[in-house]
Amino acid sequence: MPATGRIKYQRNSRPLYQAYLRVSNRAFMSLCVLFTVVILGVLALVMLYLLSKGFSHISLDFFTQVEIAEGMEGSPGGMAHALVGTGILIALASAVGIPLGMLAGIYLSEYSSNSWLGAPTRFIADVLSGVPSIVVGILGYELLVVPTGNANGFAGAMALAFIMIPIVARTTEEMLRLVPGSYREASIALGATKARTILKVVLPAASGSVITGIMLAVARVAGETAPLLFTAGASRLMTLDPREPFPSLTVAVFQFATGPFRDQQELAWAGIVILIVLIFIINLTIRFAVHRLQAKRFATA
Amino acid sequence: MAGLARMGAVSILMMLAALLVVLSIAAWPSIEEYGLKFLVSTDWRPNELNVPMKDAAGRVIIEDGEVVMETIPPSFGALPVIYGTAVSSLLALLIAVPLSFGAALFLVRLCPRRLIGSISFLVEFLAAIPSIAYGMWGLFVLGPVMQNYIEPGLHAALSWIPGVNAWLFEDTVRRGSTVVTSEIPLTGSDMFTGGVVLAIMILPIITAISRDVLKNVPRAQIEGTLALGATWWQSSWEMLRYSRSALFGAVMLGLARASGETMAITMVIGNNNQINPSLFAPAQTMSSLLANEFAEASTEIHRAALCEVALILLIMSLLFNVVARWLVVGKGSRTAAAF
Repeated sequence: MPATGRIKYQRNSRPLYQAYLRVSNRAFMSLCVLFTVVILGVLALVMLYLLSKGFSHISLDFFTQVEIAEGMEGSPGGMAHALVGTGILIALASAVGIPLGMLAGIYLSEYSSNSWLGAPTRFIADVLSGVPSIVVGILGYELLVVPTGNANGFAGAMALAFIMIPIVARTTEEMLRLVPGSYREASIALGATKARTILKVVLPAASGSVITGIMLAVARVAGETAPLLFTAGASRLMTLDPREPFPSLTVAVFQFATGPFRDQQELAWAGIVILIVLIFIINLTIRFAVHRLQAKRFATA
Repeated sequence: MAGLARMGAVSILMMLAALLVVLSIAAWPSIEEYGLKFLVSTDWRPNELNVPMKDAAGRVIIEDGEVVMETIPPSFGALPVIYGTAVSSLLALLIAVPLSFGAALFLVRLCPRRLIGSISFLVEFLAAIPSIAYGMWGLFVLGPVMQNYIEPGLHAALSWIPGVNAWLFEDTVRRGSTVVTSEIPLTGSDMFTGGVVLAIMILPIITAISRDVLKNVPRAQIEGTLALGATWWQSSWEMLRYSRSALFGAVMLGLARASGETMAITMVIGNNNQINPSLFAPAQTMSSLLANEFAEASTEIHRAALCEVALILLIMSLLFNVVARWLVVGKGSRTAAAF
């Protein structure tokens, strides 16, 4: 900000101009405070409403019963099938997404320095994590549902893995980069191969923060609805077979919430709260883990 | 190990290629049939339509006392959903950007040190709340509030301004020479509610990223302005100016998020494939169209048209993201990758 021949901030000392400066300064400062309060207030309103509404509809049935159709005895039942379904979907997605994502992250951090592959992969991973998740659902539909002829849990899990991979890759890369080069040099000087160095020295040194990144990715896909709509589909039954249409918490919540029945809408509120609490716990754990790690790790390096 | 790791990296490149190739192939029947007209046509009609056949003068043809019918093939045009996506996202940005920048300035320059940690955590946690939660809140809480209080209030407050009533609160239909004007029913499921819900959802993201960006303004820059006699606000303004390209990147990330957002918007926007200049009429975005129709699409051409919409959505979000990352990366934004 060069002062180009004119006085930029205090143009003159006339009382009127000084008063203008004072008032505008005060006004904008208050505006910043006000905006923060508005943001936190609105978001607190949303959260409190969701939580208070949801907690009042959580019952034992929610966790133990499957959905019972409207008009049948015991309706609306619970969401046990959806909870189990989401659990299995996340487990399957993690089984594919975490190893692939970590491998990509290891490549980006440890192997890409002399390769043309590094920069584009890094950039595309960033861009992919911003692709609308419903588009990923349509890709999953075309590749995994059309050939088999029906919605299936496997397709849903793959769609979730698709979303996980770029996130896991980028966080793994960033965490591995924090490990000081001297660790790697020491290991190689002792005669270890590069692969052994990565597996036995670099990864263990960064394990805590890599796990944090993985949990972040899990929290992200646990709340995804759009990619499951056309891939896993929806099911009212408890099922463990990923070749069948598969229930999930988020899709069930969506269907209940937009459906006409009041008691199902109440189940949806309870389902949302379970999701939010899950994500809150993951976030809180990450926060404390990160603080501890930052304090301890590499303090001497 | 090197080979395996390289495979992981290559798989990321393959993922992007798969998205583009598979969607292009799936959309091909529609691209072939409608070409560029797809982007400018406002007609979205998945089913065949039986209408009375008309002669050159526009009169209905009657033969043997029966109206002669003809069948119009289905037709697909994406303009209404492109319009819906653009308007709802811009509305969201209009609300969210000033609020977020203000809050980011507060967090960087005013916030008492004790509070920074908890407020930052809250903001980041709120960015992680799934969109279906915001959707439920929008559907059951914000929608009724809009319908019963805010929209009637806006109607009462604004309709005296010339033109506003016709623009926002009335529908004008021309049938031949007669013009029928009707009041738009205020339902709370409309473009306005959609924009507000999107704004609430992108607030935490834009706030978090612009906070990181502003934090990285060099101290010397700030102190320089203060030494020249700048007030707090003048030096804040210089901070915003100094990091304007990265802040623009943050806005683009918010735009990318808002335009691709699906569940929440599907639940509140009213789902009507028509362009209506009023913000209080139900609308449709690209993603809500996909969420509503893709599972029920029974004909090949309908599915292909939906895939073309998905392809447009994908390319648009890639563009936004490329621009945003290009501007934010290297400005030291830790959170950019996480969102």
